[in-house]
Amino acid sequence: MHEGAIAENIVDILKETKEAENIDKIVKVRLKIGIMSGVMVDALLFALTALKEEERIIKDTEFDVTEINVKSHCVLCNKDFYFKKGDDIMLLCNKCGMPLDIIEGKEMEIIDIEAEQ
Amino acid sequence: MKRVVVERKILERNESSAQKIRTILKNQSVFALNFMSSPGAGKTTIIEETIRMLKDNYGISFIDGDLETDRDAERIKALGIDTVQINTSGACHLDADMVLRAMEKISLDCDLLIIENVGNLVCPATFDVGADKNVVILSVPEGDDKVKKYPVMFNVADTILINKTDLLGFMDFDMSKVKKEAKQINPKAEVIELSAKTMSGFDKWISLIERWISEANQY
Repeated sequence: MHEGAIAENIVDILKETKEAENIDKIVKVRLKIGIMSGVMVDALLFALTALKEEERIIKDTEFDVTEINVKSHCVLCNKDFYFKKGDDIMLLCNKCGMPLDIIEGKEMEIIDIEAEQ
Repeated sequence: MKRVVVERKILERNESSAQKIRTILKNQSVFALNFMSSPGAGKTTIIEETIRMLKDNYGISFIDGDLETDRDAERIKALGIDTVQINTSGACHLDADMVLRAMEKISLDCDLLIIENVGNLVCPATFDVGADKNVVILSVPEGDDKVKKYPVMFNVADTILINKTDLLGFMDFDMSKVKKEAKQINPKAEVIELSAKTMSGFDKWISLIERWISEANQY
């Protein structure tokens, strides 16, 4: 379960942000996770909850995850193709057969936090 | 309450370490391959045979990632290759920092660095380890349904090796289905059928590596 390592990376960034912004308490963290990032959101939330035991900085923090669907693009046809969770992902243009570029859906980001000062 | 915009990639640290690896390897003219597959698909055996076929013409170093033991590293060391073992002690994947530390213990006076990732068709796909190309292996006994079951892994492959083709007659394995699904999830990856037992298909695989290395050296 690599979500444990990902949760640790999130906490590291939160620690830096807390220090830089002079924050007292992190109330909420908004995350953006692409459905092709290889991260299972439930497993990530489980890992973050498990980390609360040892990381005081996230003890009372709520994590809000937005899952990002796949947006892919055909350069030749200048057309976008979208896939959501559970879809059969086909990265070939259905018009010209060219490989599609993935524009969104692989990201893993911390968007913002809500904090008490 | 105050809102603080963060907008940072969760794996930014891994990305920057992977970039460091790429810079070091490029400066030394070393080409790096990252092998990924489920346990038992034949990573180490394919690597052994690949090394046997290349070692007269190319300097090769080897980094092995495993949860426990140095069994795989010992097999490669027996071929006279400079080898370093990373024991992840439970971690299901290699990350760029682990590879960066391992690179300090190995000769980079070589042409090719082979990294064998932890046997796992899920976790290693998410962590860039700074290699030039990702090699993903699927073996016939695993079944022909794996490409669509593990789309993230097959999507990051630069080439997909289908190993143990000597067992094709004994298994219900629809090769055309696998190739079709691989094309859908990763249209750019070349699919090569081979067998590390009979060595069929290895000529094609070896010429692909040789082409990659010579292309990398042109820049």
